[in-house]
Amino acid sequence: MTAGCGYKLMLETVMKHSLIIQIARFGDLVQTKRLITSLLLSSGGEVHLLVDNSLKSLAQIIYPEAVVHSITAHGTGLSGAEAVRTMLVDNRRVFEHLRSIDFDDVYNLNFSPLNYRIAALFDSDRVHGHRWIDGQEKPSEWAAMAMRWTGNRRLGINIVDFWGAYAQPLCPPEAVNPDASPKGGGVGIVLAGRESRRSLPAEHIARIAGVFAAKHRGPVSLLGSGAEAAAGEDVLDRMPSSLRERTVNLAGKTGWGELCEVVSSLDMLMTPDTGTMHLAAHFGVPVHAFFLSSAWCFETGPYGLGHTVYQAVQDCLPCLEVAECHHAVKCLEPFSDPSFVRTIATGKHGFLPDGLTVFETAFDELGLTFKAAAGPDAEAQQRKEFRAFLASHLGLSDASAGADQDLWANKLYRDKQWIFDQ
Amino acid sequence: MNRQLRILVVLPMYGGSLPVGRFCADALRESGHLVEVFEAPDFHSSYKALEQLKVTADRLDYLENSYLQVVSQAVLAKVETFEPDLVLSMAQAPLTIQALKRLRRDGVATAMWFVEDYRLFTYWKAFAPHYDVFAVIQKEGIFEGLEAIGQNNALYLPLAAHPTFHKPLALSLTDKRKFGADVSFMGAGYPNRRMAFRELIRPGFKIWGTEWEGDHVLEPYVQMAGRRVTPEECVKIFNASTVNLNLHSSIQADNLVTHGDFINPRTFEVAACGAFQLVDRRTLMPEAFEPDELAIFDSMEELRERIEYYLAHPEKRITTAKRGQARVLKEHTYVARMQTLLDFVAERLDAWPPQRDRGELYPEGFPEELKGELKNMLAQLSLPEDAAFEDVVWAIRSRQGELSGLDTAMLFLDEWRKLFNK
Repeated sequence: MTAGCGYKLMLETVMKHSLIIQIARFGDLVQTKRLITSLLLSSGGEVHLLVDNSLKSLAQIIYPEAVVHSITAHGTGLSGAEAVRTMLVDNRRVFEHLRSIDFDDVYNLNFSPLNYRIAALFDSDRVHGHRWIDGQEKPSEWAAMAMRWTGNRRLGINIVDFWGAYAQPLCPPEAVNPDASPKGGGVGIVLAGRESRRSLPAEHIARIAGVFAAKHRGPVSLLGSGAEAAAGEDVLDRMPSSLRERTVNLAGKTGWGELCEVVSSLDMLMTPDTGTMHLAAHFGVPVHAFFLSSAWCFETGPYGLGHTVYQAVQDCLPCLEVAECHHAVKCLEPFSDPSFVRTIATGKHGFLPDGLTVFETAFDELGLTFKAAAGPDAEAQQRKEFRAFLASHLGLSDASAGADQDLWANKLYRDKQWIFDQ
Repeated sequence: MNRQLRILVVLPMYGGSLPVGRFCADALRESGHLVEVFEAPDFHSSYKALEQLKVTADRLDYLENSYLQVVSQAVLAKVETFEPDLVLSMAQAPLTIQALKRLRRDGVATAMWFVEDYRLFTYWKAFAPHYDVFAVIQKEGIFEGLEAIGQNNALYLPLAAHPTFHKPLALSLTDKRKFGADVSFMGAGYPNRRMAFRELIRPGFKIWGTEWEGDHVLEPYVQMAGRRVTPEECVKIFNASTVNLNLHSSIQADNLVTHGDFINPRTFEVAACGAFQLVDRRTLMPEAFEPDELAIFDSMEELRERIEYYLAHPEKRITTAKRGQARVLKEHTYVARMQTLLDFVAERLDAWPPQRDRGELYPEGFPEELKGELKNMLAQLSLPEDAAFEDVVWAIRSRQGELSGLDTAMLFLDEWRKLFNK
């Protein structure tokens, strides 16, 4: 039976109630979409979603079919005393409510001590991901395997697919986000991501924005949180007056509703690896993303067809954002090179500076991948084999097919998987 | 030593000190300490399975040692997570010398209660120096022996009873019929006992316990086909027997009444039940019991006479048993022994117990309306009303199965505060 047939069969027979625990950040919430879509399509039952309070309204906008619950999980904005009350009264109320719902499956996605504690509410046999078994933290085998392959992040798989794969059957990747196409509302520019080294400086943004703006009519919207409002002004100052007149600094001025409204109307979004990037992909808005430092498109690139990532490729990448850079952030250099702007302006990849690869989004049997449109992709063959192995592991392809399957099996499987029913 | 402590009790995999370890854990809990138990018996069957391999002796030796290393590592992992003030091991606890060295290096206090006859079980010579405190049930010779190998923190700590377990029972008729006898003995078939009891055979004589195989004279009197008697069954036997024989064990059969030094646990346990026993004289008895608190014999001839005497004089039995019971309840309980041990540890070890940051049970912001619930929770968890917040969290973590909303909220709050330093 093919995966597709199984999917249809499940669709007709199963009615389940599921809970997804996703208490991480904006981008993570949007990247949970393949899992949510799979559950909504396959179970016909209710899909519940637990998020941080700060993301509740966003979750309700982008997942209108899900029942959204929220707790205080993030660290910002609360004193210790306020937190005690909030967690023991408000969070507790939500926990009691979730406990009262007889979930068939609980998908606990984040590798965090907080997630493990929430898992304590449920029968561990029903929890996928990060489980709590009588006081013992224990990741499921799929989560444990991911920790092994992150030893080589250059291969990786997109986190949308990784989380999605907790659900069986997995919906087709095409069902996650619409193919990207311009929406007529001009250009959006995300000023910075949470991790500063991943973001481009204001002068780069101003220069590159000019190139994109020249290709599209309509306004140019600078997007970001209140913390980036000043950076927005800096970008504005560096723009030529003709561009400045078309540009509006919306940093810190949009709630989730307004942000969704703006992003969903754009012709394109220029961005580092950010939550807003994933939001654009959610709406099918073409993304042009700049990935450097710790950002690696095979892990967290924009999901769906029609997106482009300008990926820095140095031997030291992807690095850890929390680790000090001993290479003077050399991965930023190609973005400073005038020929980079020329590449974008002309679309001719012959101008592409060294240290960059242009990747276009594509799908394979596992989900989202990237094809190099220009520049090197030294791991392409290895990645293909790796992905084939994971696809067979998930039952998405024939387990007997593919070269070097034993190699990947030896790398990713452990004795205990073979010996015990995990 | 009145402070509430965190104590890890490491049980042996099997044997006589196993129930003693469990009583110690219970007693420590009764005294308000936070106790975690390393359940070594869970690992015993796997260890014994190695013996079924029929492999070369050196290979088996390697496998057994390797397995014990794993178990020992498991104890260390438990220490790492639980962060006890004291690791209390019973004789034969699966802590290797390597693990004990590691605990000493990490500044974790360790104590061993060696409830074995040091003359027969001589392995203490290798292990005793690696414990910070070494408690024994004998006096003569052992203190010098310990000092000679560098163990200067030796403590005489005789065995005891656990009155919440060893207590008078109102037995059902069925239990009275099953466990009752005019004269009975509960214990293993050591050579001196085998010889002695041949002289005591009488209608209705009952022998309980293991290692009586091959004795055709006594076999008809051995109950339950000589299987191991559970601690619960022991208490029923003590309660149901008119005369409980208590002959201390010896591996030689020349002198049936050996006049050895240590007092066995049965002496305290029978007395705590308010039951009557005839026990052989021990050199350490005078400091534990007054002459009228126990019915003692010095020879087989005396034993035979006294059986008949006490069977004929129930009021004498009752008087002696009551006196013995009162003495045990007053002085010879595991609660008292554990207090003695902790006082000794505090006296001998520098800066013990270590100071730790004790989180307020009701941290700032704790909702007033939850204080009543938390009080109930403390009672359920057998914690004192002034328990530290982190002790409550640990006790919740020790709960089995799915947790309540409040349990989960407490665990969540604890992790959240650690994560965000609040």
